[in-house]
Amino acid sequence: MAAAPILEIKALGKRFPARSGREPPPWIIQDMTFSVGEGELLTIVGPSGAGKSTLLNIIAQIEVASAGEIAFGDERFASSEQKSLQPGLNRRIGYVTQDDNLLPWRTTIENVLFPHEVQGTLDDKARTQANELISAVGLSGFENYYPHELSGGMRKRAALIRTLVYDPPIILMDEPFAAVDAQTRTQLQEDLLRLWSLKRKTILFVTHDITEAIALGDRALVLSRRPSRVAAEHPIPIPRPRNVKDIFTMPGFAAIYEHIRADVQ
Amino acid sequence: MNWRGWFDRLVVLLILLALWQAGSMALGTYWLSGPWLTVSRFFASLWDGELIFHASYTIQEATVGCVIGGVPAVLLPFALRKHPVVVAILDPFMVGGYGAPKLAFAPLFILWFGIGIESKIALVAAVVFFIVYFSTLAGIRALDTRLVQMAQMVGANERQVGRYIVFPGAVPSIFAGFRIAVPYAIGAAVIAELISSNRGLGYLVQTGAMNFDTTQVFVAILAATLIVHGFIAIVDIGERFLLRWRPRGAALVVDQGL
Amino acid sequence: MTTADLTSGYSESRTIPRRWLVIGGRIALALALLLAWEWGARSLGPLFFAPPLATFQRIVEMAASGQLLTDILATMRVSALGFVIGCACGIGLPFILQQLPRVTAAVEPFIMASQGIPKYALTPWLILWFGIGDAPKVIVVTLFTFYITFITVFAGIRGVDQRLISMARVMGASERTIARKVIWISLLPFFFTGLKVALPRAVSAAIVGEFLVATEGVGFSIEHARQLSDTTGVFAGIVVAVSLVLIINSVVNALERRALRWRPVDRDMQI
Repeated sequence: MAAAPILEIKALGKRFPARSGREPPPWIIQDMTFSVGEGELLTIVGPSGAGKSTLLNIIAQIEVASAGEIAFGDERFASSEQKSLQPGLNRRIGYVTQDDNLLPWRTTIENVLFPHEVQGTLDDKARTQANELISAVGLSGFENYYPHELSGGMRKRAALIRTLVYDPPIILMDEPFAAVDAQTRTQLQEDLLRLWSLKRKTILFVTHDITEAIALGDRALVLSRRPSRVAAEHPIPIPRPRNVKDIFTMPGFAAIYEHIRADVQ
Repeated sequence: MNWRGWFDRLVVLLILLALWQAGSMALGTYWLSGPWLTVSRFFASLWDGELIFHASYTIQEATVGCVIGGVPAVLLPFALRKHPVVVAILDPFMVGGYGAPKLAFAPLFILWFGIGIESKIALVAAVVFFIVYFSTLAGIRALDTRLVQMAQMVGANERQVGRYIVFPGAVPSIFAGFRIAVPYAIGAAVIAELISSNRGLGYLVQTGAMNFDTTQVFVAILAATLIVHGFIAIVDIGERFLLRWRPRGAALVVDQGL
Repeated sequence: MTTADLTSGYSESRTIPRRWLVIGGRIALALALLLAWEWGARSLGPLFFAPPLATFQRIVEMAASGQLLTDILATMRVSALGFVIGCACGIGLPFILQQLPRVTAAVEPFIMASQGIPKYALTPWLILWFGIGDAPKVIVVTLFTFYITFITVFAGIRGVDQRLISMARVMGASERTIARKVIWISLLPFFFTGLKVALPRAVSAAIVGEFLVATEGVGFSIEHARQLSDTTGVFAGIVVAVSLVLIINSVVNALERRALRWRPVDRDMQI
């Protein structure tokens, strides 16, 4: 792991949106503190409703925190100063959401190139790179298909490489593989690890699936119930490269699984 | 559809034509012109240019009116997307304008703009504006905010969000609005011509009736009906082309009828 | 403004609560329109614009002399008659057609095609036949009402039919009476929607019809005034016409809300 963390979360807190009542609303996240090393694949597990998506939204700067501070390298963002957000922190943070959020009126290649089009960096180099990513995830031949013509797994892949195409150093992933069948999920997990091994990005991967958390992560954070904080932290001792399909058979899997499951309760 | 369905429809068509022809022969063509007379006069009129002369006038009114009424109606909801308070302020006025009978203004427009083409265009524009405004507004309101967030994550500014996310998302509703507006537009053009005009399909209807020339009346009505269906077909084709990305069987707005 | 604000609605704490802002804005806009009207009258001259005050004075005169009531009644007479006949056909025909599916399939495209006929264009021909009485207008109103109610009820019956059939099968095909009752209750929202749309339409169709043939009525007063270059009369007539239709619109909407409130039918039924 790198010496200085690329991302630090300090005592982060987030309340529910204010209603017209007198009392302040309850906390979704409270006093959450952890750090992420550069190039680390950190998985985050927790019960549903624990604010995992909210946490990612705050890191991605599409939501304002109610308390606490986030530090990206040398830059600090405190909640009280967050009047104007920079979603994506100027393209340094990528976000793969639960819904693929592909633009339905664009073909696969047009969707993948969308970040370049927006940033004005759409040139031949970008196109070549996009095509490479498309074949890297096995979508060759489907460049001119519309999202509704693709399967769920294919759309996930397209959403993933859309984020990779502009090379953000930090990538947030919010249960991206939750809505596909088990076989496709395993395939997608392998694709992710393979892509990650080629270009070591920092990834924060949220999931409710403990097996997935173990299979993918260098470290797994367990969040408590609402108001959630970091309940536990588990380095994953299973060496890389990992066999995702047969992760159950890897030494140490059962032990770490039991630990994490106990913490999640 | 199976051949039996086509056969049935053919039978119905023949029955209708037979009744029409019989009625015409029984009552006399002063009162009810027959199908053969109508169709042959239709083509004769087409050939010698008279029908084109008048129909093009009506088509012009409808088209220009659709543009003058439709374009602001599409732009306004987009411009006001960031100002929901303004939309709320405008709402009762827009609803009132939508519910009010725009055709009641026909005599006023004729008073203002004369019996030329301008008064008809103004009327068509008024009719089209409110219909397209509400359908565009609905299309924008149905915006999927997650797509907006995605775009912002990859660095899109407000203008880009409007251009890449909001507008394409609203296009189906805009088309639906125009498709609904087309019959109203042509109807408005015709009624304005009926009240006062020296040209156009409504004029043909009026003069035909005055001269007991029901054939001319039917020819003009037939032409107007074909124009309505033609315009709708054009909108449909445009929609199908621009909306190739939609999954088949996507729900469309149901037309409430003329 | 954050994206969270976009998704979660509007923040409550502004300097002025939004509700007052909106109401204030509406009043301001109404006043602005009124002022624009007055300015238009002053700068563009009495031929093109009647000032608001003169317009309302004229309406008061019309009311006082009883002319207003006569006109409104004349228009409502025509629209009511056409509305009733149109509804009867528009509601009755789908039920008949439902029993004859083969006929329905054959006839449906013709009904849809005939929808494209600009109905006002039939008026001169109808005048030829029926003279300058009420008949041409009533027929046109009937046609408008028919298409609106027919399409709505027809769609409703079709929708109900599929669900009804599966439901009847699942329940073991209960008696026809029960089935008929279920159809009725499911159709009520469609009825209301059709009537709600058709009634104001019928009134405005009567008004417009009077542009072409009438000796009295709201529409007649507008067109008559135009022919006499009586701009004030035109303005007054239009205000009456628009108000009439908008009032009927509101009343019908209010009735619908009340009627649907105590029905157990699902209010979410969309057309």
